[in-house]
Amino acid sequence: MKQLGSARAEDNILHVCWGGDLLAATPATGGILVLDIERRDVAVHPGHGIGNGSSAWLGGHLATCGFDGRICLAGREIHSARGMIERVKPSADGRFLAAGQGKSLLVFDGGGRPAQGLPELPAAVSDFAWNPRDSSRVAVVGAGGARMWRLGAGEPFARFDWGGASLRAEWSPCGRWLATADQTPSVHIYDFSTDHPLHIQGFDSKVRAMAFSGDGRQLATGGSPIATVWPCTGKSGPDGATPIQLDGHDADISAAAFSSGSGKLATGDATGIVLIFTFQGARVLRKRARLDSGISALAWHESKPWLGVGLEDGTATVLEL
Amino acid sequence: MGAGKTTLLNRILTEEHGLRIAVIENEFGEVGVDQELVIHADEEIFEMNNGCICCSVRGDLIRILGNLMKRREKFDHILIETTGLADPGPVVQTFFADEEMREKLFVNAVVTLVDAKHILLHLDGSDQAREQIAFADVVLLNKCDLAGAEALASLEARIRSINALAKIHRTTNAGIEIPKVLDVGGFNLGHAMEVDPHFLEAGHRHHHSDNVTSVGIEADGDCDTKMLDEWLSTTVREQGADIFRMKGVFALKGSPDRMIFQGVHMIMDAANGGPWGDRPRRNRLVFIGRHLDREALIAGFRSCLA
Repeated sequence: MKQLGSARAEDNILHVCWGGDLLAATPATGGILVLDIERRDVAVHPGHGIGNGSSAWLGGHLATCGFDGRICLAGREIHSARGMIERVKPSADGRFLAAGQGKSLLVFDGGGRPAQGLPELPAAVSDFAWNPRDSSRVAVVGAGGARMWRLGAGEPFARFDWGGASLRAEWSPCGRWLATADQTPSVHIYDFSTDHPLHIQGFDSKVRAMAFSGDGRQLATGGSPIATVWPCTGKSGPDGATPIQLDGHDADISAAAFSSGSGKLATGDATGIVLIFTFQGARVLRKRARLDSGISALAWHESKPWLGVGLEDGTATVLEL
Repeated sequence: MGAGKTTLLNRILTEEHGLRIAVIENEFGEVGVDQELVIHADEEIFEMNNGCICCSVRGDLIRILGNLMKRREKFDHILIETTGLADPGPVVQTFFADEEMREKLFVNAVVTLVDAKHILLHLDGSDQAREQIAFADVVLLNKCDLAGAEALASLEARIRSINALAKIHRTTNAGIEIPKVLDVGGFNLGHAMEVDPHFLEAGHRHHHSDNVTSVGIEADGDCDTKMLDEWLSTTVREQGADIFRMKGVFALKGSPDRMIFQGVHMIMDAANGGPWGDRPRRNRLVFIGRHLDREALIAGFRSCLA
């Protein structure tokens, strides 16, 4: 693995994401870095006071949010209200940008103008996920489980209730599965094709890392030093199937990302280990790199063999495989 | 509401103490200083185990504190200002039930501000008011300049009957030495040994309309470890939803050391409190809660004596 470039922020990198060849790295506090690997340049965008949320790319522009209750797009404030904002996420086709604030899911169009969103929700938004196949549909998770909405609708078109709370959501690229990582050490996998919820328990700790493969046929979860890859194929998906367990970490997995191009899985842990798994039929090949600080975020470039890595010491770096 | 929370917060944030303090606000109070340190969030209850109150935690705190803990520059203290209607149970339980919170943070104290002038108008009709007093490690009896000496003494006795363990400070304009609210260690097991028998007596004089009370138990002798364990487990399993706080010191048969314990609802924590030495081996235990059956609790505990 070759290091193509890196930059250092003032604080722990919480999130990294690619916009073309630009890598945005969002630290817990301070300015948000944008690394231009080709030009060997680093731009710094204003942060969000006491705490940054995540960042996203929309139409080639950077969107940021934070605990100050503001959302900025292309350097312009498009929203400001009381209440922290943890995440901004664009729909897969780039038509919309959404953010959860309290019991509201705020939705904006590609120009940052408010778009038809959702009514006030019954519970605060812990996380949300766009349907990658249909940008009019979004899943919102929080206390009580998950609710699936069509933009502009007064009621959810589907809901998965359970007696706990979900903290993170990922909608599979194929559109069939919604996976949630929960407040307890568990994961829910909901199958839209059968309306069947699967509750997977037994993780060592809360699941902080979770990622679908580009085709939606695999789901990788952390929750221990072993990465577990669940098969999301066939009639029942992971229900009753034997997952692949991938070892090599000494600490709980803190980040995971599948490359949509190559199908490789990258995982990272708090000791600074990054593992790259390549699936070749029944064989799984493993590459290992040790970085200088704990791994807090991972993101693959959409088409190039570049892995963006965020570290706890504030470093954002790009590895080429 | 209106008891002086925002005044206290502003005092804490403006005092020159050299501490880095963040504030999480659930109420739209007007903290007048350095808004950069204030995070606004909606109160958000995560019910776990299908709604068991003893397992409920605060989702907003888990998410905000999870982020704050990732910062390189940590805060010395984080103040959580709840609304006057908030249930303190899930706030406290968050720091014991969530693995990350338990590992990285500890609860210093629950501080409840009481409006000395107006509280009696609300105390009988408000479960929240009584429960916020019951959960407290520190009660600031504020606006004392607006109440007479006799009324204050009566009110203090009423508060003591609800919560026999809390430290009560009389204040005006929330004027209090900062260490008395920031350096309390109310959930520190070591402080469980400070259960004062005089407080226990005061706790017995409960107001006729208070369903929230303290029950203090004091008994010489040694406990049978197995029986004590079973009794405590059964008590919190069956009555945990109504037990807000528990603290105690026990003498165990065959052990030269004190066993100290504290709990919130169904969550219990125990540790070795060091040798009894020359002190009498006297068990002391306090429950603060709702609808507590004093006689049954005393009888239950006495059945554990070897």
